[in-house]
Amino acid sequence: MSGAALPVLLLAAWEIAARTAVVSPRYFPPPTVIAATLSRLLTAGEFWGDALTTLSRLAGAFLVAALAGVPLGLAMGLWRPLRRALEPAVAMLYPLPKIALLPLFLILLGVGEGAFVFTAAVTAFFQILTSTAGGTATIDPRLVEAGRNYGARGVTLFRKVILPAALPAVLTGLRLGLGLALITVIAVEFVAAKSGLGHLVFRYWQMLLTGEMYAAFLLIGLMGLGATRGLRAVQRRALGWQEEIGWR
Amino acid sequence: MSRPVRRWRLDLVPLILPALVLVAWEIASATGLLRAVFFPRPSTIARLLLAQVADGTLLAHLGLTVARLTAAFVLAAVPGVAVGLAMGMSRRTREGLDPLFALLYPIPSVLFLPLVSFALRQEEVAVAVTAAFTSFFLVVYTTMTGVQQLDRTVLEAARHFGAHGRRFFLTVLLPATLPAIFTGLRLGLGYTLIVVVAVEMVSAQRGLGALLWLSWQILKVEEMYVALVTVAVLGTVLTGAVEWLRRRLIPWAQDIAEVGA
Amino acid sequence: MAPGASQVSIRDLTVAYPGRDGRLIALERISLQVEPGEFVCLVGPSGCGKSTLLRVVAGLASRESGDVEIRVNRPGRPPTAMVFQEHALLPWRTVLDNVMFGPENRGVPRPEREANARRMLDLVGLRAFARAYPHQLSGGMKQRVGIARALANDPEVLLMDEPLAALDAQTRVILQEEILRLWAELGVTVIYVTHSLEEALLLGDRVVLLTARPGRVKRVFPVPLGRPRGLEARASPEFGALVDRIWAELREEVLKSAEAERRDPPS
Repeated sequence: MSGAALPVLLLAAWEIAARTAVVSPRYFPPPTVIAATLSRLLTAGEFWGDALTTLSRLAGAFLVAALAGVPLGLAMGLWRPLRRALEPAVAMLYPLPKIALLPLFLILLGVGEGAFVFTAAVTAFFQILTSTAGGTATIDPRLVEAGRNYGARGVTLFRKVILPAALPAVLTGLRLGLGLALITVIAVEFVAAKSGLGHLVFRYWQMLLTGEMYAAFLLIGLMGLGATRGLRAVQRRALGWQEEIGWR
Repeated sequence: MSRPVRRWRLDLVPLILPALVLVAWEIASATGLLRAVFFPRPSTIARLLLAQVADGTLLAHLGLTVARLTAAFVLAAVPGVAVGLAMGMSRRTREGLDPLFALLYPIPSVLFLPLVSFALRQEEVAVAVTAAFTSFFLVVYTTMTGVQQLDRTVLEAARHFGAHGRRFFLTVLLPATLPAIFTGLRLGLGYTLIVVVAVEMVSAQRGLGALLWLSWQILKVEEMYVALVTVAVLGTVLTGAVEWLRRRLIPWAQDIAEVGA
Repeated sequence: MAPGASQVSIRDLTVAYPGRDGRLIALERISLQVEPGEFVCLVGPSGCGKSTLLRVVAGLASRESGDVEIRVNRPGRPPTAMVFQEHALLPWRTVLDNVMFGPENRGVPRPEREANARRMLDLVGLRAFARAYPHQLSGGMKQRVGIARALANDPEVLLMDEPLAALDAQTRVILQEEILRLWAELGVTVIYVTHSLEEALLLGDRVVLLTARPGRVKRVFPVPLGRPRGLEARASPEFGALVDRIWAELREEVLKSAEAERRDPPS
């Protein structure tokens, strides 16, 4: 059975069930109708604004998280005292669902882009920080010794030995962080925003415009899939020498 | 200075930074350096917390969240481990299911709420199923990777010394995969908590997420902080419990580093 | 099998599998007889198939044609037990549970298999570590557990696949002595694969030299050094002469093997 068979089978079953009213077509419109709705809305220019909004929030969140997380993570990985000081705080905050911080940010920053972007940024930040710090801390000390032995010091050592050695972990952290940022942005839009793809799903749900709702859903799924697969491909090209990328 | 004293002092070091932060916050808030509207004094929050625990309101919300969390986690974990093992052991199963899962996994669980509530009229069941979605995939993939990364020589040796069929599954495959399964369960539990809170924020009247959201809407900031702290404590306790369980059940292995997951 | 026949009888064994460009022959028409209680060592260049041969005897790899027969002297006794190069202990079981694993799978009742396992651990000097986990042991100790596990299974033939290769030189010497001692005490038939000529001559009654791939038996060298044999045997002139003789022929095969790799490097 080829890989695509199961999803195709399920879609076909759904199509038939909806058309024959085995399931209510009001709540579960046939996939063909959904696909048609999506293409109609896209060509009519409907989703583009919200998609752009979601993407710009994502970009903002990711940039903030990366710019804060990577340097701090590298620092934590390289200097034990810093790691020892911050680790307990990180460990305490890590299990907290960052989405619970949304109301706090809404109060501090008002109802607006800031709160949304920040919530997503914090979620991604912790992942990037943990991955980077962990990867840097576990660099094979023999690599560093060998580097020093061949004359690399200070900035050169950092640039030519430490950074490349930490790169797989950093990129994995960035990849996971981007995925988390996207999920959080959409979840936040669903819960609290008045624009964006996540919000669209919510709005159509409330108005019971199920065709449109599923179309937005589909778009989000494709975006997510594209982001995940795309980033893994980028990581694979950038790090040809790394063996295992992992499934996420 | 004798050794034991030094070590005891070292254990307290991790608490220094958070304690300093709390003290600084208390002072700043009390003296108006930080606006109490946004950052009420920790002492006020603590007092409100204790009051709400005393009159049972907080525990009622907490209990509800924990109940939903448990239901969702069981829904995610039990099928998740089973499917993960199957996908790890059989290439055909993996190739058959992977495309479907890869499509569904990146979607935030919370978005499934509309779909699920269409299909399941019972509200609590809908919440549990929604929260179980992504966690299910997390458990599946972590378990599957665990099976794939098993040391093949160990499995071969076990078969060579006579373990076959059911014996092999129970005495070799399961214990060998247990560390990976545990990591998956830990990740899944963490994620389930996130989604339960998110769903409560969207559509529930009671529960920690609902408490959080509603206090924000009526601008009762201290109550919001109480809810936030409770959620944080819940998360920490859960993580600690899983770690404790891991140390008891799997004394031979440490946690797989999350770096390259 | 006829009475008085060999313990292990390998006849015209060929092992091949599909490779990148057609059929890859690992072993070609190997024939070998091993007598009961004999200690036979297999040597040869890397990739000659000596481990494959062992694995076929153990039932871990399949053959294309030919026969492998192992005489069962006592019903219920497993024909073989293997000691793996990377010890392959089950990490979630204690040392004692690991050693008991084979008899456990054969349904031997607990008191009996536990007593047997403790005896084996005594033999390899690890009685105090019965309740430890493998990750708490050193490489040498883990390998000793591997040996105890194989012996605890009471096999007709003990198979050892470069068991000391992953250890440091000093541990290796100590374990060589132990293996000699164990073999003298238990009298079990052993087929032993090694890279080291010195080790093969130290331990074996016969040394079987395999050619480069496809592996064939190039020559069988009887080892006329007396028993009991200790490490001091390495110092004797006969030992040195034997090493030279075998190495002269082994060297040919090693060079052939290197040449083949030069022509056909791994992609």
